[in-house]
Formats: sequence, C-alpha cells, structure tokens
Amino acid sequence: MKAILKGIGVVGGFGTGIQTLEKVLLNRGPTVESLAVPDPQTLGGQFFVPVDTRQIQDRFPSRALRRIDHFSRMALLAAVLALEDAGKPEVNDRMGVIVATGYGATRTTFAFLDSVLEGGDSCASPTLFSGSVHNTAAAQISMLMGICGPNLTVSRFDLSISEALVVALIWLAEGRVTSVLVGGVDEWCPVLSHCYHRFFGKNDLSPMRPLDPDRQSAVVAEGAAFFLLLPEEDRADGYGVIESVTTGCLRDDAPVLPEDALILLGADGHPVSARRYARFVPKNRKMAAYAPYYGSLPIGMGFDMAIAGLTLRRKRIFPMPEIAVKDVPIDTVPTDSVAWTGKVCCLKITPFDTYGMITLATQTGNPGN
Amino acid sequence: MTDIKTRIKTIIVEELNFEDLKPEEIPDDIPLFGDGLGLDSLDAVELVVQIQKHFGVKIQNMDEGRAAFRSINALEAFISERLNG
Repeated sequence: MKAILKGIGVVGGFGTGIQTLEKVLLNRGPTVESLAVPDPQTLGGQFFVPVDTRQIQDRFPSRALRRIDHFSRMALLAAVLALEDAGKPEVNDRMGVIVATGYGATRTTFAFLDSVLEGGDSCASPTLFSGSVHNTAAAQISMLMGICGPNLTVSRFDLSISEALVVALIWLAEGRVTSVLVGGVDEWCPVLSHCYHRFFGKNDLSPMRPLDPDRQSAVVAEGAAFFLLLPEEDRADGYGVIESVTTGCLRDDAPVLPEDALILLGADGHPVSARRYARFVPKNRKMAAYAPYYGSLPIGMGFDMAIAGLTLRRKRIFPMPEIAVKDVPIDTVPTDSVAWTGKVCCLKITPFDTYGMITLATQTGNPGN
Repeated sequence: MTDIKTRIKTIIVEELNFEDLKPEEIPDDIPLFGDGLGLDSLDAVELVVQIQKHFGVKIQNMDEGRAAFRSINALEAFISERLNG
C-alpha cells in the first residue's frame, strides 16, 4: 500500500500555506515562543500560538461560514490549500475525506458545556452542540467543498494522524476512492491552557528545545495540516510517495526504522518525550525535530509530514533552530541546510509507549523528479 | 420598532452568527426561513432556545413554532401575547 503525496495545505501559528512553512524552515524562524500570546483567561502565565484563518473568507461566502467555528475553519482552510497545491483537481464522489484530531473542537465543546451550566439543559445551545462533535470539521469540508465520497474522523490523541493515514492507504488500495483528502486539526482553548498550567507549571516562554531531556519547553499551539493522496498507479507528479504507515506499541512490536532514512522526531518540548526518543533512536541516525516551528499539539505529526514532503521535493534537510540543538545529547541533528535524497521517516512516540511511523520516499520515474 | 423586535433581530444576528448583517437591516415582514432570511432547521431549534433564554417564553410544539417563526412581526406578536397573557 503506497500513495502519492500530491498536495499539502498547512495552517499554523507560523502562517498559512506550505510556501510560508518553507520560508520559516529556510529562515530558521520565527519560532513559536516568539509568536505566542498570553492566554487572558488562565492565571499564572500561560501562552499559546493563535492561528489566523481569515483567508478562508476569500474562498467561501460569509453566509456559508456563519456556523463554522475556529476548529472547522482551520481544517477547511488547510483542506482547500491542499487541493489548491495539488492543482485544484476535480472534486467528485470518488474522493474521500479523513480528518484526524486529538482534542476535537475544544472551544465549542466547552462553550456548549457552559451553555448547559448557565441555562440548564433546556437552554443548551443546539448550534454549539452540532459544532462540538469531533466529526464536525470533516462534515463541513465535505459539504462546503462538494466532496461526496466516504467521510471519516479519527481520534487517537498523538497518533491520530498515523491512524488516519492507515485508513487512507486502505481506501486507496481497495479502490474505494480515487483520491483522499486526509489531514489533522487541533485547537487551543482556555481549558487546555489551564491543564498545561496544572500539569507543567508556569510557562516562561523560553525557546522550545524538543530534544532536551531535562527541560519542559512545550508551547501550546493549534493548527491544521492536510494532504491530497493519490494511488501510486496514478504516477502523478507529487512531493513523494508514502511508502508505509505503521502504528504499534514499543513493548510488543517496536518499529524498525528504515535504513538510511532521515528521522523526523515528533518530540515537542516535553522532557519525558525527549528521553523516550533518545532511548529508542540510535544516536548515529540523521534526525531532526521541527516542533519549535509549529508548537505542541496532538496532530503535530501532520506538520512533520508536510516538512517531509518539502524535504523530498527540495532534496535538502531543513535546519532546526540553533537554540533547539545547542547542547543536546544527539550530535547528528542538522544545524544547517544540507542535501538529502534519501527517505524521510516521521516518528511519533507517545507517553504510553505507543508509536506511529510514516515513511516517505522520492518518486521514481516521474517527470518532476 | 418595538423593543421586542430589536431584541429578536439582535438575537438572530448575534446568536445565529449573521456577521454580514446588522439587526436594523432585517425587515419586519421578511420570511425567516426559506427564500427570506434563509434560516434552516438548526436555526429554528437555536431560536427556540434563545427565545426561552432571553424572554422566558417557551415555544411548545411545531404548530406554535411554525406560526411564530413566519416573520419578525409574527414572532414579536407571539412573544408579546405570552408575556402579557
């Protein structure tokens, strides 16, 4: 089961679109701590990185967007951008939609709960309820973009992206669809800031150091990353080929890292996570972690996959922020842009010792490569 | 324009998220659903909740709702009757 990565759409604190993300990678910034704003509702100093979705208003009439909340707007914008990046292919009933999310529509969910607490169950808002369910973003994408194929929402916290891609590859292999618009979305909300504060204490907005095993430096972020996938037989010119997607448990079936692949670690500023990656990934492997550019969120692996696509297309490894690699116990992290023509493997290891792994490779035999 | 009408229009704009519309731009006699303002079934349920929340008036069944939701004028008359009755 393989698939061509044809189009990428990303929306994050860094900005909108894959070209913007590439600029950030080339310029080694801005990094998320410089984009973070104070959460006005959380005592004790929490910050998050907001996302601007105003570009969606250029693509749909305001009446069509009136009931679409921030969560779904991020997903919708990233999905539209993925199709635009793929050359605006025809949308039809053979295109599937799969949305991954770790938290779901948190702002609307808690707004709905507030409406119950304030007005009782008879005055709970039906509109907020309809937007609070996890599959609201997938539904809005299909309805507004006119996609009539199968529609699915997947949630497995940090592994949501991997699980969504597993299903996407199965759909394509079965011939159930001829293309899949698959991606992930997660949003910040004040309750999330509160939880971060309770679990990790005050955030001093120091630079994110995803490979530092001793320091908590995660910055809460939000965003969406979407991809248009085509069957490998299409031989269309894309960023590369998704060779495999696997999920599992380190204790039972630890992943076999592909030989000579660049490993993109899903480490995102939690020292426990950094220690897990350090234990599992041999020090002599070429690896990088780009969370300082997009922040900490369950679907962060989607941004790693977007960066993997750029790496394959540009045939170069993008540098990590200098501060993120200083004095870390791994000596093979690229500190400067270097040429790369090998495979790229996105690896996410969770606090529960489960993992997701996505391996991408350059397409062969295509005019664009 | 009565105060109740202004409040209804404000509820429609703010609670049903008509960002491109001002309350004073909604005509009193425009049909709220279909070709008029274009509200749909989810808006209808939300409007039932908001009318109860803001005016303490319950719309008990579909027959009541169908008559009350014909226009701003009809909804104002329905609410006034319940408040004064």
